[in-house]
Amino acid sequence: MSEAAVVIVRSFIAFFTLLIFTRILGKQQVSQLTFFEYVLGITIGSIAGTLSVDLSSRAWPHWVGLLVWTFTVLILQKISLNWPQAAKYLTGKPAIVIMNGKILEENMEKMRYTLFDLLEQLREKNIFDLNQVAFAVLENNGELSVLLKPEYQPVTRSDLHLPPQKEGLSSEIIIAGKLIPEKLKQIGKDENWLRKELLKQGIKKYEEVFLATYNPAHGTLYIDKYEDKIKKKQDDPY
Amino acid sequence: MSKILYYTVISLWLLIFVFILNSGDIAKKPWSHDDDFVLYATMLQKDITREDFRKASHDLEQLKKAWSKIVSRIQYSVEKEEINAIYVNLARLTAHIKNEDKKQALVEIEEMWNHWHHLNQ
Repeated sequence: MSEAAVVIVRSFIAFFTLLIFTRILGKQQVSQLTFFEYVLGITIGSIAGTLSVDLSSRAWPHWVGLLVWTFTVLILQKISLNWPQAAKYLTGKPAIVIMNGKILEENMEKMRYTLFDLLEQLREKNIFDLNQVAFAVLENNGELSVLLKPEYQPVTRSDLHLPPQKEGLSSEIIIAGKLIPEKLKQIGKDENWLRKELLKQGIKKYEEVFLATYNPAHGTLYIDKYEDKIKKKQDDPY
Repeated sequence: MSKILYYTVISLWLLIFVFILNSGDIAKKPWSHDDDFVLYATMLQKDITREDFRKASHDLEQLKKAWSKIVSRIQYSVEKEEINAIYVNLARLTAHIKNEDKKQALVEIEEMWNHWHHLNQ
């Protein structure tokens, strides 16, 4: 019996099964996972690990375990999507921890959420003074959503009665010295225009450019050359 | 069309995985005369019952060769312990046949049958 060969085959099966199953479960960022979903992820990963290297047991029961756990999660996801009432019980409800500037100790105790957790999460949001907070809600994924009191909210263009500013996504037109013609076409420009713009900055060849992006909303071109002309390169920011 | 192809390829992969993980029963069956484990084990059992230890020794060697071939096929779908258990049975059978110990050899062969039937279960 060649243990290495068996591990290779079983690992291959575990890897691609996990890949297929996680694709079925859909895209969710780790930060969006609830605690239960996080634990589910660890369990599914652990089963896949056992399937891969535990030669003392057959691989099939582990594979079935993987299938059952994945499809149970899938069923719960479908239930949560279609029955919001059921979702409340399955994933929990967000809890208000600060209301009208007052800390709701009872709600915090129910969620086993300490004052230190609250202060830490507020600091993470650059809030160092509790007087600034009107509402704070502890979401199912553990994130804290904060609504500041009106006097502490940042000024917006509408507050100043200014017209809205156009926003747009930048398009990469040169990446690693290579021109992306489709992107150039998308922004309604041609190579003549690009060459002129590059010449203005003393660039004769596309190969000199590491990245060039164009923002159609602002009409601005960002160019980063391979040659940075920084006297001393610093790897360590400190 | 590409979506159908996508799901077909994924389903096909999953089916291949299920087949590999459950291939033990098919892989146990003889693919040629040399790897017919059941045939050689049955012959060996008859040799021991008749106390024909010279023939039993010859059939045991054939059985060991057959088992080695089968192991390379079933190793992906069965427990390592079950495979090792049969190796242990074969080693003990070698000793019992050398000693011409009919009782112990028959006990051993019964245990080996038990392991054989439990492979892939």
